[in-house]
Amino acid sequence: MKKGLRWKLILTLGIVGLALFLAYPPGKKINRGLDLRGGIHLVLQVITEDAINIDTDEEINRLRDQFQKKNLTSTSIVKGRIGQITIPGTIPDQEGAVRDLLDENFRNWDYVFVGATATLTMKSEVQMYLRDQAVNQALETIRNRVDQLGVAEPTIQRQGLSGDRIILELPGVDNPERVKNLIKTTAVLEWKLVKAGPAADEQALLTSFGGTVPEDAQVVKGDPKRTSGGFYLVERVATVTGKDLRVVRRATDEWNSPAVSFSLNPEGGRRFERVTGENIGKQIAILLDDKVISSPTVEDVIPATSGGIIRGRFTIDEAEDLVVLLRAGALPAGIKYLEERTIGPSLGADSIRKGLSAGIAAVLLVMAFMVIYYRLAGVNAVTALILNMVLLFGALAYFRAALTLPGIAGIILTIGMAVDANVLIFERIREELLTGKSILNSISTGFSRAFTAIFDSNLTTIISAIFLFQFGTGPVKGYAITLIIGIAASMFTAVFVSRLMFDLTVAGKKRKDKMSI
Amino acid sequence: MLQIFQKTNIDFMKYKYLAFALSGTIILAGLANIIFGKGLKPGVDFSGGTLIRILLKSPLPVADVRQALNEQGLGNSVIQEVDKGQQEYIIRTAGLKRDEIQAEQDLEAHEIIGNRIVETLKSAEDKASAEQGLIDFNNAGVKEITAVLQPAYPDEAASLAERIINFRVEKGILEDFGMLREAGISDEVISVLKDRTFLGSLTVLSRETVGPQVGKDLRRKATQATIWALVGMLVYIAARFKLAYGVSAILTLTHDVLVTLSVFSFTQREINLPVIAAVLTIVGFSINDTIVVFDRVRDNIKMMRKSPFEDILNASINQTLSRSVITSGTVFLTVIALYLFGGEVINDFAFTMLVGVISGAYSTIYQSCPIVYFWQKIFGTGRRVRR
Repeated sequence: MKKGLRWKLILTLGIVGLALFLAYPPGKKINRGLDLRGGIHLVLQVITEDAINIDTDEEINRLRDQFQKKNLTSTSIVKGRIGQITIPGTIPDQEGAVRDLLDENFRNWDYVFVGATATLTMKSEVQMYLRDQAVNQALETIRNRVDQLGVAEPTIQRQGLSGDRIILELPGVDNPERVKNLIKTTAVLEWKLVKAGPAADEQALLTSFGGTVPEDAQVVKGDPKRTSGGFYLVERVATVTGKDLRVVRRATDEWNSPAVSFSLNPEGGRRFERVTGENIGKQIAILLDDKVISSPTVEDVIPATSGGIIRGRFTIDEAEDLVVLLRAGALPAGIKYLEERTIGPSLGADSIRKGLSAGIAAVLLVMAFMVIYYRLAGVNAVTALILNMVLLFGALAYFRAALTLPGIAGIILTIGMAVDANVLIFERIREELLTGKSILNSISTGFSRAFTAIFDSNLTTIISAIFLFQFGTGPVKGYAITLIIGIAASMFTAVFVSRLMFDLTVAGKKRKDKMSI
Repeated sequence: MLQIFQKTNIDFMKYKYLAFALSGTIILAGLANIIFGKGLKPGVDFSGGTLIRILLKSPLPVADVRQALNEQGLGNSVIQEVDKGQQEYIIRTAGLKRDEIQAEQDLEAHEIIGNRIVETLKSAEDKASAEQGLIDFNNAGVKEITAVLQPAYPDEAASLAERIINFRVEKGILEDFGMLREAGISDEVISVLKDRTFLGSLTVLSRETVGPQVGKDLRRKATQATIWALVGMLVYIAARFKLAYGVSAILTLTHDVLVTLSVFSFTQREINLPVIAAVLTIVGFSINDTIVVFDRVRDNIKMMRKSPFEDILNASINQTLSRSVITSGTVFLTVIALYLFGGEVINDFAFTMLVGVISGAYSTIYQSCPIVYFWQKIFGTGRRVRR
């Protein structure tokens, strides 16, 4: 054997061996996409305006404080459009002082004075930062929640680098509805003292306050599922919030119904102790996302270290979900679903079965054709095709690319397309043979002259597959990947390996005047 | 040596006007149908909405399904039967009118309608059993079945439940608990299951809801991807060959894309993501043929200096004919296998490829070469075109 051939043979066997090692056993090494294993695919959007609104609210409070401190007067400070604050009715001779204040302490804001009205606009880079933060925090919170749920191998990622969309892939989830609700809940938990309520409507609620909501209070609704409904008047400032929680567990109350027990961090515990001590006999409302889930009456002072329980007519699952939510923390902004795809495991199993039978049929058809039409050379092509499949699976395993149903279609298509290179070469060799050239000569010119066409045609297929990859979502991406890998592998197997096989067989033969092609 | 074609010498270029007329007719009729007629039917991926795929325990004629939905005011849902067994259906919620529901809530509205469809098709016994606190076996997970078996089989409940659920996943839906014997589940276990669970009348195989924003995005992206892929081809071919070839290649490919779209408008098949994937694949595949022929033309121009350009084109097509037929043939074989055995989910993809492969093979011979010929005739320097 010639030295060059030996090295080529070793290289080929090495690569094929590596691919086999990577891909075997395929059941374990090849990652199945959601459409084949079943699961949920969700695209959600973080409502980033929420983050800007929250920040604006905080800034308004700060402004009010500072106005008071500096003895500035203003009729009101109100929120305008998103990221805007207006201060109407600034007394003209105060303008300088207000400007100084804004310059000094509110550098995140641009401001203009028109007449007596000052308008503050949040700087766009600050807005962008807040939006970006909101998405990152939401991503983190959702990841925590999914981890708490114990979903195996979840994919949670941001769509694009700066978008407000998050893509979630959760394989093998039994109860998609529950997971969807769990992820979507903002989960801001607050304890607020009740000033009045519950009442059937707002008017009844406010009778003892002269029909208007006091400055330091707000009207909230009772969650119809958890309470008897109705309206509550509660303090604006929360006594403790979800951020003060330290340990959260599912528990049962004294009547053995599901509940959630909690303990507080030292600071929150002290506040809780003081407020409960001062308000014995009053109700304290527990609000989840601004809805009252229960409003127990304070019977005694609750010591800082003892914690308590949250009741809310929970089922076991609901109590468990609340635990997950409280442990994972609140979302910084609201969330909206844009796309939901749930695939049951049965459909995935069925797809694999059908994909497999289509694949086997395709392989057999193509192989039979090649062997019948090209005889021994056909066997050569078939070997190249098998190696192509081995390399394809090896590469899929190596890149951890998910195999999807369209991906299976891509593999099947590759079977049909990969033999193209062999066909091009064989037809050229036949032509060369017909002109009366020797076998060795025909093989070598056949390969070299077919190569440009093979290269150009495969490259264009890869170009279009790359555009497909750019555009695609999950399953289509899987398709583009298998097509790209399959075509690239076919360049190696159909050109390099196939040539090697020809060279090996021809080199071993004594009579070199007949060729089976 | 087995050969499809002996040395051929067909005057393909003679039929160029006929071919132009044929393609023109198909494409114009298709475009007319798209613009003025039935148009293209976008699937859930592009138009938004909910697609629910259900498997029923016992056969139910499509008329009954429709009637059940009609009674609940869901009559405008699109119902498609999957198997002949009348057990599997794909139901798509009708598009919601903009004034009915705020754009913001579209997704949830579809979800609610989806839930109603599933609830409507569940049998009365299901609801009664569920109210008694029984668990729907056909929709339960491993965790629930483990809980059911725990009291009677404290040690092996989890492994038993996994075996049972795997069997059900394999079957899709169980009609009778007795079927579990096939999986080697003992009668005692089956009787425990019978006591605490019931066989629900349907299971949801898959459910997809696409909101209007995503649909719009996907539509834009699909169009962009197709156009950029075509531009990519133009640039590549123009760089590797000459501008004339690049222009011809891109026109040929546009031809293939338009023919495919025309077929879709005539057959009123839905266009979903996999269909776009197939169209882009056709763009990549159809150009293979074209390149192989152009590659030959490039060779032959050097070898046949004395011959008229039309003869060079004809010779090139003839020389590459068997290769073109064989490759299109092998791809066709694989696509046919996909179409016949690949199952419902991949069927649209396979159908698109089928159309594309045929159109691609035809267009290489009858479109790409004639276009190069005319381009050279009009813009050529006269060196290559000899009259």
